[in-house]
Amino acid sequence: MEIKKTAIAGTLESSDIQLTISAATNGISIDLQSDVKKVFGDQIEGVIKQTLSDMGIAAAKVKAVDKGALDCVIKARTIAAVQRATETTEQPAWEVL
Amino acid sequence: MAQIDHTLGIYNDQHQLVATGSVAGNVLKYVGVCNKESAQGSHFNTIISALMNLLAEREIFHVFVFTKNKYSASFQHVGFKELAHTDLGAVLETGDTDVADYVARIPQAVDQAQQRVAGIVMNANPFTLGHRYLVEQAAKENDRVYVFVVQDNVSLFTTDERRQLVQQGTRDLSNVTVVSGGQYMVSYVTFPAYFLPTPNEAIRYQTTIDARIFKNQIAPRLNIQTRYLGSEPFSRTTGIYNQVLRKELPPEIMVKVIDRKRVGQQVITATQVRQAIAADKLETVQSFLPATTLTFIQQHKRTLQSRIQEGMTINGN
Repeated sequence: MEIKKTAIAGTLESSDIQLTISAATNGISIDLQSDVKKVFGDQIEGVIKQTLSDMGIAAAKVKAVDKGALDCVIKARTIAAVQRATETTEQPAWEVL
Repeated sequence: MAQIDHTLGIYNDQHQLVATGSVAGNVLKYVGVCNKESAQGSHFNTIISALMNLLAEREIFHVFVFTKNKYSASFQHVGFKELAHTDLGAVLETGDTDVADYVARIPQAVDQAQQRVAGIVMNANPFTLGHRYLVEQAAKENDRVYVFVVQDNVSLFTTDERRQLVQQGTRDLSNVTVVSGGQYMVSYVTFPAYFLPTPNEAIRYQTTIDARIFKNQIAPRLNIQTRYLGSEPFSRTTGIYNQVLRKELPPEIMVKVIDRKRVGQQVITATQVRQAIAADKLETVQSFLPATTLTFIQQHKRTLQSRIQEGMTINGN
């Protein structure tokens, strides 16, 4: 799938993550900000990358502001942002969950 | 952009307002939070995400904020990056694009790191032989010259018209590149007069922020070593701007002030060109204009005059 427009999902509240996904020419780039980046940075980026790949997104620019989100939250927010960015919110990607 | 598009508030169980914030265009404004009876920062994070989600619904994803220095860290904590600060305040941005993306879209030579590179910022409303003279001087003394044209569309000549006339008027100068100044050079976004007491101080603050963004964010990425300015005998605002640039940019960036070009005894100004359009006396300023700008004005005189009649001011910048 292709990113058609920039989209945002999630919030900046505790235990959540705010994801902004926009179009890119090639590859996935993630700009992650998190208080626990030292310990969980790779894990968080891994979940985002895996979810993007599960959804068939090969190129995207991601800005992530993490406030201590669990993996399931990161995954849910990534799916929501991608569906908004690909204009496919009418067909929820249940199988990715 | 003094007006506000939308204001949000958060109320607690006792119906007391505990946080508020507003948006104007893509700028967050008037954020205020009460931290009594709540975890430090929690209301702040809630109001900022609510404002960003509100802007996202309007397809606005690139967001700026001006704030006092002591709050800069709070905004950085929710993903904002500081562009510049002075003693009085800071400007930050966040979103799907940033100043690094802006600069990355500007064409560069392969060996630009070894070149002498200059920058000029102009509104060019419209492009005159005065602007042309300034660009020519810079083009003679440098390998490459960037002309940044002010992006905001609040002048008699539209942004596209201004940029096109600069492009056409410098086409023969092969080492000149004309680009948009984006939101980073002399833009509406960098005018945060609202939390400052006096106009003069506001101008000084705004121009200092503008100068520091140029010095720290733009110039190093393009290897710009010199900024060219036209001397400013008339406008108070531009006069202060020039003063501030001369104070802020050196020693890293040289500032060269070029005396305004004259035709006979008369100093060329775009203001006079606009006044001549309004008065339907183009012949009085013909000698101020390159053929490209003159032709454009002749072809679009009625349109320009009707913009003035509809209230477009012509005496500002």
